[in-house]
Amino acid sequence: MAGKANTKGNLYWLLSLLPAAAVVWLFLQIPEVASQNYPTLTLNWVPDLNASLSFRLDGLSMLMSLLVLGIGALILIYASGYMNGDEKIGRFFAILIFFMLAMLGVVTANNIILLFVFWELTSISSYLLIGFKHSYEESQRSAQQALFVTGAGGLCLMAGLILLGNAAGSWELSEILKSGDAIRSSNLFPAATTLVILGAFTKSAQFPFHFWLPNAMAAPTPVSAYLHSATMVKAGVYILARLSPVLSGTAGWFWTLVLVGGFTAILGGWMAWQRPDMKKVMAYTTISALGILVFLLGLGGKIPTEAAILFLLVHSLYKGALFMIAGAIDHEAGTRDLNKLGGLAKLMPITLVATFAATFSMAGIPPLLGFTGKELIYEATIELEEWAELITIAAFVMNFFNVAAAGIILYRPFFEAPAEDFDTSHVHEGPWTLWLGPIVLGVLATVSWFFVGSDFFSYQLFSPAVSAVYGKTLEIGLYALPPYFNIVPILSIITIVTGFAFAYYHRTILGWATAITTSFGNAGPEAGYFGFLDWMLWFTDKFARSWQNGLLRRYLLTVFITLTTLVLLPFVLYGDWSNINLVVTGAPRINEIIIALVIVSAAFWVVRFPGRLSAISALGIVGYGIALLFLYFNAPDLAMTQFSVETLTVIIFVLLLYKLPRYKSLTSTAGRYRDAIVAGFVGLVMFGLVMFVTSVPYSTHIADFYIENSYTLAKGRNIVNVILVDFRGIDTMVEIAVLAVAGIGILALLSKSTGDIDESTLMIQSLIFRTASRYLIPMILLFSVFVLIRGHNDPGGGFIGGLVAASAFVLYIFAYSVEETQALLRVRPGSLIVSGLLIAVSSALFSPIFLGETFMYGAWSTFEVPAIGKLGTPFFFDIGVFLVVIGSVLAIIFALADEDENLHVDRPNRKPGGTL
Amino acid sequence: MTVVYPILVPLIAAVLCGLVRNNRPLQRWVSLGATGVALVLNVQLLLVVQADGIQSVGIGGWAAPYGIALVADMLSAIMVTITAFMGLMVAIYALDDIPEDFEANGYHILYQLLLAGVSGSFMTGDMFNLFVWFEIMLISSFVLLSMGGTREQTEGGVKYVIMNMIASSIFLAATGLIFGISGTVNMADLGSRIHRLAAMHPVLVTAIAMLYLIAFGMKAAVFPLFSWLPASYHTPPTSVTTIFGALLTKVGVYALIRVFTLIFGTVNVMWLAQPVLLIIASLTMVTGVFGAVAQYDVRRLLSFHIVSQIGYLILGLAIFTAASLAGTIFYLVHVILAKSALFLVAGIVNKNYGEYDLKKLGGIYHNNVALSMLYFIPAMALAGIPPLSGFWAKFGVIRAGLEAENYVAVGMALFVSVWTLYSMTKIWTYAYMRKRPAEYDRPKIEMSAGSFWLRWGPTLAIGAITVIMGIFAGPLYGMATEAANQLMDPNIYITAVLGGSN
Amino acid sequence: MNVLLAAVIGVLYATGVYMLMRRSIVKLILGIGLLGNATNLLLFTIGDVSRAAPPIIHEGDKTIEGAVANPIPQALILTAIVIGMAMTAYAVVLVKRAYQITQSDDVDEMRTTDVEV
Repeated sequence: MAGKANTKGNLYWLLSLLPAAAVVWLFLQIPEVASQNYPTLTLNWVPDLNASLSFRLDGLSMLMSLLVLGIGALILIYASGYMNGDEKIGRFFAILIFFMLAMLGVVTANNIILLFVFWELTSISSYLLIGFKHSYEESQRSAQQALFVTGAGGLCLMAGLILLGNAAGSWELSEILKSGDAIRSSNLFPAATTLVILGAFTKSAQFPFHFWLPNAMAAPTPVSAYLHSATMVKAGVYILARLSPVLSGTAGWFWTLVLVGGFTAILGGWMAWQRPDMKKVMAYTTISALGILVFLLGLGGKIPTEAAILFLLVHSLYKGALFMIAGAIDHEAGTRDLNKLGGLAKLMPITLVATFAATFSMAGIPPLLGFTGKELIYEATIELEEWAELITIAAFVMNFFNVAAAGIILYRPFFEAPAEDFDTSHVHEGPWTLWLGPIVLGVLATVSWFFVGSDFFSYQLFSPAVSAVYGKTLEIGLYALPPYFNIVPILSIITIVTGFAFAYYHRTILGWATAITTSFGNAGPEAGYFGFLDWMLWFTDKFARSWQNGLLRRYLLTVFITLTTLVLLPFVLYGDWSNINLVVTGAPRINEIIIALVIVSAAFWVVRFPGRLSAISALGIVGYGIALLFLYFNAPDLAMTQFSVETLTVIIFVLLLYKLPRYKSLTSTAGRYRDAIVAGFVGLVMFGLVMFVTSVPYSTHIADFYIENSYTLAKGRNIVNVILVDFRGIDTMVEIAVLAVAGIGILALLSKSTGDIDESTLMIQSLIFRTASRYLIPMILLFSVFVLIRGHNDPGGGFIGGLVAASAFVLYIFAYSVEETQALLRVRPGSLIVSGLLIAVSSALFSPIFLGETFMYGAWSTFEVPAIGKLGTPFFFDIGVFLVVIGSVLAIIFALADEDENLHVDRPNRKPGGTL
Repeated sequence: MTVVYPILVPLIAAVLCGLVRNNRPLQRWVSLGATGVALVLNVQLLLVVQADGIQSVGIGGWAAPYGIALVADMLSAIMVTITAFMGLMVAIYALDDIPEDFEANGYHILYQLLLAGVSGSFMTGDMFNLFVWFEIMLISSFVLLSMGGTREQTEGGVKYVIMNMIASSIFLAATGLIFGISGTVNMADLGSRIHRLAAMHPVLVTAIAMLYLIAFGMKAAVFPLFSWLPASYHTPPTSVTTIFGALLTKVGVYALIRVFTLIFGTVNVMWLAQPVLLIIASLTMVTGVFGAVAQYDVRRLLSFHIVSQIGYLILGLAIFTAASLAGTIFYLVHVILAKSALFLVAGIVNKNYGEYDLKKLGGIYHNNVALSMLYFIPAMALAGIPPLSGFWAKFGVIRAGLEAENYVAVGMALFVSVWTLYSMTKIWTYAYMRKRPAEYDRPKIEMSAGSFWLRWGPTLAIGAITVIMGIFAGPLYGMATEAANQLMDPNIYITAVLGGSN
Repeated sequence: MNVLLAAVIGVLYATGVYMLMRRSIVKLILGIGLLGNATNLLLFTIGDVSRAAPPIIHEGDKTIEGAVANPIPQALILTAIVIGMAMTAYAVVLVKRAYQITQSDDVDEMRTTDVEV
């Protein structure tokens, strides 16, 4: 990193003019804000969710905005020097400015949904910035960790804000802050508070979520300075401060914030001084400072609130400066390891000045701004009504560690002798971009005694901010040096003296202190985080493998068990069985019983038969049995369709499956029993449902309409056919498309054929059969056309006709060969399918195009054609159906027969698979 | 006719593609032209419905309940619009993605029929007709899924086909049963009759509702019925996976929303259906995201996320308030876009770097910022980061859940949200941030300018919409709310379809 | 009469479901066949089975007077049968293809897409 002299500077620092200009504008608004004329902006956004683009600049927002933009401007200047020469510097500035805007949004949003939007944007930009050096594993892990922890907290915050908005009846902050009583009386108040606190704690790195912050130091230093110390981590503190007029005042709030904040502050302080890495020291003191802020907000009341706001300001100034200093040292000296660094006082004099200012402010040396901050903290704890002594001691410990860390940061790099392996010869002051920021912030902290007591600072900037948090308008006069003398300045002095002394001698106890820290660290929250993550990864992997185990029968078993359970559930749970009343309709005749018995036993044969062909035959018997039932119960069209479909299905099954290996006994006996029980339940459930449904009176309003109007309105006597081609024509339209796709799909699938040809024969080598089929085919085809034409008035129609016609060609394949059948057919099945679809769609479009009627409207001719009767679009539609059925069935059969050697004439010249 | 266009355009396109099936360029133009026209017409339908209320037409001039009605309420209109948009985007992407032999084997015909099936399912006002549309959609998807004929596609295809056929037969049985008690299959007619029947036979009607829950739940891929999805969705070419992931399961969700608002939205069914839906929704979210967290193949990871997001969608239905349904509808549109963008990006990454496996990828953020952002933005949208589309979707459902006091389910939704974010950053870390492992570090395969724009154009457009949908969420959420209000008051639908007399 | 048909339906469902859960692909397909038949018969049974007249209007009449078999389930089943046939045909071919590729008729062997090998 050293020796960047050869790299030219860049002009990215000019970007800082934008936030700088905004700061100027903000300053001009301060008097307005102080007189409670808050600048606001409200635009609609998502009214249904009460989200509005609503901004409001009150005292607290003003102070925070000044910090965000003021420090932001300095950081942009600093970054232009720090990132100089990095090939991704443009990307870096883009994300950094994106963050700046998001953070500005958090502190100025007046709508809590909008606030949350910006809140999440800060998390995401933080994620990208921590992971900026993206090829390092440390960056990847730290970025993910920060996002994971703050993201989880963000979701809690979201839930908390929703509860809050609902309780308040408004989603505008200014309104919510007025409805404290309504919110506190809501029974969801504790939940809302807890969730908001969780969100704030993760963002502001409170124990036990603090661990992500030191790891976030993997980010480039401008990011650490800006996001992870001066601004973003303060968002959590901000939301607590923002909502404290509504949420504070309960014992839960007090103790949670005081204990967690206090513990975090002491823990951060304890960890800070042991770290050799300057940035880690900074990170832990930041955690400590955030703890102090939460602790002060927890104490509530006037003085603690003043202390919190002042300390927030103080900390942002000195910590921003110190981070930039650490980065500058790292940049120029090539390391930020305190064990190596030393002697920088002479080499980097400007940086030293800035460091003096910043560390003195951090240590609270009078009359710097930090001193005033520390004074207020002690004042706040001492004046508590209860627990004052204990809490003051805690505050002392927090402050003590801060002083110690300040001492270490000042003393070790600058005044200690450098380590032997640290070459100081090339170290020099960095470019102006690197020291300007620290100097400005340091000067601000130093010259504060000029302005702290001023009207402008005390009454126009500071008091309005405190008032916003306290909930009542306050007028606070601040002082740079105390006008009186009591225990508080004494405490301050003791803190400073002991702290610096500890800093000087800290190495004597460093060894055992580190040992203690390490032993706790192994069981700390971060270890828990990684443990949980590892466990989740292990568990999800186990889950995915066992649940998605690839066994189809397991998936199906799950489906059928779910089905049985869910269908039986209403019967089990409803309790009142009185209205369940099963009715048995009519006694069956003997022939019906016989058919039923045949079907049932055939179904069992399907299960029990050891041979494949016999099982397929048994399935065929089931189908034919059902066709017989259809015939008995006056469904001639159905019976015909069922007969032909069943025949085709058996042919398809045989063609495909007879070459497959014999059954093996694959499932264990226990498995078979389990499956049988589940299957039995499914059967019972369906039996029961059919019984229930047939016991309920059936409404015939639609059937009556069809019977009434089939002839008069739709010009057909076969009501089933009229329903198919007219009343419910679109069903049929889609159905032939299904058939067409099956044909196309099977052709496509078999075009990928491996080229394996099955050896055994299906061809029927009989001269009589061949001769017979040659004469039969024209007759069957003629019959199929007859079936098609009569369909509108008698059993038949396009479907049945198509199936009959297709069966003629199937017969021919078995008698002769695929090639000869194709020759006989002359057109490819694909052409039949497409022309059929074309005719069907055209007939449906006839009426809308020529008559201005609805899609598929049945238009009929006034004249009659011999043998057919009146011509109408439903008739042409049926012709389309007819053609698609022939084409699809033939496509399927050709494709399947293609794999069978003996159904071909000249095998060597043949390409595998069919074509569309 | 406006109401007929969403199904008519793809049907005609399919026939045209069939007529020119031996002319590859012409097929492509027909496919592109048809999806483009469909988009324009469907947007127009949406505007008409928004302005004039629910549109209904009886096909063939037969008025409902006797004929089959096509009905466009806000939900249907929104769904066919997003279908047409996705149809166009994927049709463009497919031009570079689909192998030539797919096209020779009728890819374009199947694609149009798939879109027809999806649109028909959204538009139909008839239960049996819905079954038929489902079937054309399914068989087209069967063929598209296993068209490549590889081992993976065939094995995945077997599970997909068998399980969906079973779902269909359950759907058909349920429709038979509901016809048996009401004598009708018209949805509006069912809506007006089932409420009365459910009061008389609560147990029976609830049992039938449970059958529908199983049938549509399987198609929507809810726990514990989703196994067919992760078994198959990652096997076909990217464009096929994308259109499946975008639309097919959503048809199942749509059907669940439709039947449980219009037909079974009565206390005599919801007493059981609501808790069952809540449990299913929660478990679907959780199991889906658990599956995703474990995966290293991007397409598998995203497939499990489809399942997880379905859980969110069902949650909005299960909470069963107008607010929660509005959330679900917004979520539907969002998740279709975000998930599709992610699948398409995975396809681009595979084209450039030859891998879907996270373990073998890396370094994209360093080399290719544009591609990285093309992934990152929809990924964050999916994780629900504001102000992207996913945030409003998630916020809407969760807020409605909290208002309805479904704290456990909301807790699970938030928990799942964290892990969604986690798995999105997992992809980001592996494929984008870190260096590519040396043993897999092959040079990037450059695409021709034509390929580049065919792939980047649609991906970019979809990604941009996840941003636009987030930033200008107001009017869109307004539409979702309007759709939800219509759903929660079935009488609006029934009156629009059957006329004032009922 | 409904008891008889309901019983047949129940048996067809039970046998079909049982067959679907076998490991042999042939049994899987047979299961699909049984399930399809069961569903068709169910559709037929719930619409008031009748031994009255078939739903065909006689020459010269404008409508049918008196009892008549319900035409709606018949039309619906007709559609369902054809769709079922198309679906089954595709499934059979797909399963056969799977057999040719994996060289196994055991569905349990077809799991490469679920479990990373």
